[in-house]
Amino acid sequence: MTTAAGQTASGREPGANRPPVLELNGITKSFGPLVAVDNLSLVIGPNEVVGLLGENGAGKSTLLKILTGVHQPDKGSITVNGKKVTLRNPQEANAAGIGIVHQEQSLFTNLSVAENIVMGLSKQGARSTRFGLYRWGQVNRDAAAILARIGSRIDPRTKMSDLSFAHRQMVEIGRTIEIARETTRALDASDADHGTPLVILDEPTSVLERNETEILEREIRKLKDVGSVIFVSHRLEEVLRICDRLVVMRHGRLVADRPVGNITEDELFELMIGQGARSQAPASAKADAPAKAVLTVDSLSRRHTFHDVSFTVFQGRVTAIVGTVGSGREDVCRAIFGAEAFDGGTITVDGAPVRGWSVRKAIAAGIGYLPSERGVESVVGGLSAARNLTLTYPDKARAGALLSPALRNRLANLWFERLDVRPRDIGLELERFSGGNQQKVALAKWLIAGDLKVLILDHPLRGLDPGASAAVNELIREACRGGAAFILLADTLEEALDLGDEILVMRDGCVTARFDMAREHPTSLDLLEKMV
Amino acid sequence: MEWYTGPAGHTPQIAKSRLIRTTSNGSTGKCSVRNLTIWRKLVSSAASTVKVRCFLTRKFLAAASFGALAWASAAHAEVSQPTYPKSNLLLVTTVINATNPYMASWIQGSKDLAAKLGVPIEVVQSNGSSQTELAGIQAQAAKGKKIVLVMNPVAASNVPAVVQTINANGGYMVVWWNMPPGTEPKTSGDHFVAFGTYNGITAGECGAEHLVEALHGKGNIIALPGVLDSTVSQERYQGLLDTLKKNPDVKLLDTQPANWDQAIALRTTQQLIAKYGDKLDGVWTADDAMMLGAYQAFKQAGRLEKVKFSGEGAYPPVIDLMVKKAGNNAVVASAFHRGYMAAATGLLIAYKAAVGEIDVSKLTPEQRHGQYAIGCVTPENAAQFQANGGIPQGWLDELIKNPFKDLVGGPVLRTAAP
Amino acid sequence: MNEKATEEIGNGGIRRTFAGFGEIGILVLLIVVFSILNPAKFPTVANLNTILNTAAVPTIIGVGATFVVLMGRIDLSVEGIMGAAGLAYVLLSPNSRTSANWGFGAIVVAIALGAGLGVATALLHTRLKVPSFIVSLGMWYVGLGIAAVLFGQEMQPFLSDTDTSVWPTSAPLGISNSYLVALGVAALGFLVERFTRLGRVPYAIGNNEAVALLTGIPVARYCIYAFAIAGACSALAGVIASMSLGAGAANVGVGMVFFTLAAVVIGGTPLSGGKGGVLRTLVGVLVLSTLYNGLILSGVAPSLQSGVSGLVLVTAAIAAGWSQRDRLRIVK
Repeated sequence: MTTAAGQTASGREPGANRPPVLELNGITKSFGPLVAVDNLSLVIGPNEVVGLLGENGAGKSTLLKILTGVHQPDKGSITVNGKKVTLRNPQEANAAGIGIVHQEQSLFTNLSVAENIVMGLSKQGARSTRFGLYRWGQVNRDAAAILARIGSRIDPRTKMSDLSFAHRQMVEIGRTIEIARETTRALDASDADHGTPLVILDEPTSVLERNETEILEREIRKLKDVGSVIFVSHRLEEVLRICDRLVVMRHGRLVADRPVGNITEDELFELMIGQGARSQAPASAKADAPAKAVLTVDSLSRRHTFHDVSFTVFQGRVTAIVGTVGSGREDVCRAIFGAEAFDGGTITVDGAPVRGWSVRKAIAAGIGYLPSERGVESVVGGLSAARNLTLTYPDKARAGALLSPALRNRLANLWFERLDVRPRDIGLELERFSGGNQQKVALAKWLIAGDLKVLILDHPLRGLDPGASAAVNELIREACRGGAAFILLADTLEEALDLGDEILVMRDGCVTARFDMAREHPTSLDLLEKMV
Repeated sequence: MEWYTGPAGHTPQIAKSRLIRTTSNGSTGKCSVRNLTIWRKLVSSAASTVKVRCFLTRKFLAAASFGALAWASAAHAEVSQPTYPKSNLLLVTTVINATNPYMASWIQGSKDLAAKLGVPIEVVQSNGSSQTELAGIQAQAAKGKKIVLVMNPVAASNVPAVVQTINANGGYMVVWWNMPPGTEPKTSGDHFVAFGTYNGITAGECGAEHLVEALHGKGNIIALPGVLDSTVSQERYQGLLDTLKKNPDVKLLDTQPANWDQAIALRTTQQLIAKYGDKLDGVWTADDAMMLGAYQAFKQAGRLEKVKFSGEGAYPPVIDLMVKKAGNNAVVASAFHRGYMAAATGLLIAYKAAVGEIDVSKLTPEQRHGQYAIGCVTPENAAQFQANGGIPQGWLDELIKNPFKDLVGGPVLRTAAP
Repeated sequence: MNEKATEEIGNGGIRRTFAGFGEIGILVLLIVVFSILNPAKFPTVANLNTILNTAAVPTIIGVGATFVVLMGRIDLSVEGIMGAAGLAYVLLSPNSRTSANWGFGAIVVAIALGAGLGVATALLHTRLKVPSFIVSLGMWYVGLGIAAVLFGQEMQPFLSDTDTSVWPTSAPLGISNSYLVALGVAALGFLVERFTRLGRVPYAIGNNEAVALLTGIPVARYCIYAFAIAGACSALAGVIASMSLGAGAANVGVGMVFFTLAAVVIGGTPLSGGKGGVLRTLVGVLVLSTLYNGLILSGVAPSLQSGVSGLVLVTAAIAAGWSQRDRLRIVK
């Protein structure tokens, strides 16, 4: 991080002469009776990285939507680079110099990487599409250069749908950074009074593996030279590392605005949820009684994807699988769930080997799956939360042959309490909930089945704020005590170490290491060694 | 002019009708109308003088007396069916679309007759839809006047519903071309006055015989019927087959229906030319629109001089081709009839029934269901059909004197479909 | 550590362009089968030109239709525009009814009329938020109505210049003229689709309209472009069809809506949009034209022709979508 008084790479003097990039004054936004943002005032200076923290439902996404022109504030003013602006739509926000990388991706899956990048650029910015004509050679070269800058060697001609979620996220970041740079160039050219672009990164690291996170951090530092960044994340230690300043929201209000220098994670946590110290992970007081083997995977293979994978999942235990992108761990889990085929090896559930495996059979056998891409694979946005809850196991809400709305609602209310889902409106369409709350409902969808044997969790804590993370963690542990078994694909190594009873490390489709947490205590480094 | 006995026909379907023999000019009808008016005035004044409090009772009285009057007038009139003054009538004519030349001619005939009679007329254009046709007729019937209808049905199955509508309205109708089996004007009451058609077999023969002659009794032809399940198309095709049976050296290589459509006939013929090439000597079509499409296909292939064509309907452009002897006398024959004549005839018959100039109960079976004259146009006589769209001068005036002047026979005797 | 995880990813994209071309396989199969059924007449140059003649008009329509379908919309007004534009062209050229002679201008007027009707469709669709299916259905009848008005009560107008009416099907360059025009239109369409923003944006819109809006793409404006292009293509097709017919007829385009849309879908551009393209439509039209021609040449009874066509179309649709089967994908 550059020091505040240091010269930035572009040679400009930071501070005094230049107006703040962003000045929010008394911003208020309500949706009916719900006050999402309450009289919020904030100043962001040039070349600053500001971390924006807050629980789900604290008003962060509303604030971001206001900044990007999706919503207009009921009260208050927005000033960008010294000019008061009204942002009526995302294009105006872009023109004013504000760019955003969304939590959910905003890319076209049927177009190539290069084309996605160029599609977002304005007319001035895209030299390769001047006069509306595409010079593909140039388009691809420009895209490759942009990707190279963030250290990615993705072939720009690749179709988006062929890339994994993580890679797509990288493209998204690269594109946004490019938009930001381009805005700078435009502002440079037009304004004598240098305007500074503002890039908002909305939880960009939640899908990234550790090495990708480092790349992103590097990029953010470079971005600092040319503009300012608002960095939204739940990973507290990351935020402390990357940002210059922290801003915390709670219940729509700004409750803290401090430089990073002297704050600890616990303090942060407290600020965010207003509670006492973060709940510690309880000591693993797991009984050593021999547990029943619920699921056994033996020499499972699938061409080009994974090879000779074997492990056993026991009742009441969590088996965590860690690995980088391309390690094959997600594919193994999908194969266990019946969503993808496998060509070698066996899966045995409760002693019986499976034949002609499919998703329906898997569910009937007591296997559940919580996918990583919530919006696409887990949540039916248009249905109410209550309905989503009873999607997989409608029997829970059945009274006779029909689904009973009363039963369903009671069930939904119960789970909303247990998981502290906000707002407590079971009739609201699920897509209107914040990402983290959606995840809670998605999880509950599986947990309501009393006879679930194994639940596969694919990045379950992605997008959850620390409070919700803790709640979900507790849920998982409680379910374990109740006899459920989990296969966990964790977002971070810490998560795996925290929850896992057994940790498998995979690399390039093979299992490279096995750690029994009751007996060994590996560190993140140990795991990493086996992962790469 | 050569007039074939027996019917010939064009588009859609055939309807049966009963023909009504005209009686006198209907002066008695007018007389009874006048009587009716005087009587009505008397009754209403009588009814109002009776100091009846109850509104309903007064209405009942008026209705009852009016009913008695009607009965009385009927007993006095010369014709058996109820009649109305001209001012209470609305002429209605139905067509399937407005761009087909036959339909255009039909509309023209209806309008000319209406002008001569001095009665307003409405055109119901159904765009090929049974529902639209029915709805249109019902809308007209709901206007309040008595309907005088000549109908060119989209489908045979439409006829019974329309008969019900007209019965309820009290008006009169004549149907051309198409009627479901079992339905007859004779058994449907007096309001369904007549059904008329042209003999499709004769029309088919008109084309086929001249084609065979032009080929000197030997050669290969293809046939383009209209649609496979159209009665009139089947009849014309039957005429072709009958002719071919008598001329075994003329071979029918292929039959491809072209939906009465010029553009479809063009495309279909292109494929057939590709298939048979030089072997083709003649094209028989069930209608002139398709013939024009086939003609164009051969022209494009550069083989017009070597092929002969026959159609049906004697469209003015086709008559022109025959007069000009275009393409080395390519067009050899086309049966003549006009929508103009069919529409005017049918409308007039219904009108006369409505005003009492015809007594429905006194019509012959042929008049209630019969076939009308067609001509067979060839290059020799084509010039006679050019003027006035082929309709003789003064035809309309003669028709008004005798609506059945072109009647040539009873129902068409159908032979088996191909 | 970094290098391993971010090694060269992706497959170059280009290979994809030719990956799912099951449609060409179907075309080849049809050609083989019909050649066997009628070896003397089917596989000849003359018959090839017959097939191309049949294919020319739907190809021209198909190019325009592809742009509309790529965006997830649909244009049913094809036949109405063909009728109106065709009649406009005939009435402005030397014909049996009037003595107007606008020459090439007649074609320009016809195309302008088609484009105008297309713009009207798009405006109704975007401003009043009526589904394109409904609006274009209405415009179909409006087009037919315009054609009927132009046709009037008089006799059918015939083109006086015989050379014009044989021009589309003659083949001085080996391939029938009308198909050369179609190829030209298709080539233009392909260039637009590959190399201009006008052609690329519909793919984005068809893939994810919400994201497109977020990215700042003016979706409504592109709707107007697409429908204008489709209207112009339909009009040009109407002109060529009227030339070939040698006369003006309101229903000169009869059957073209089904033919073209089926060809677009069979070619590999699904009605949901976002995938496919002009070249695929070209192949789809050839498949259907070959089928139509082959059935007649092989002597299949007319009453069976629609049944057989339907069977082949379903098979072709399955084959076309085979490579994109995915167990968890949803099919509508």
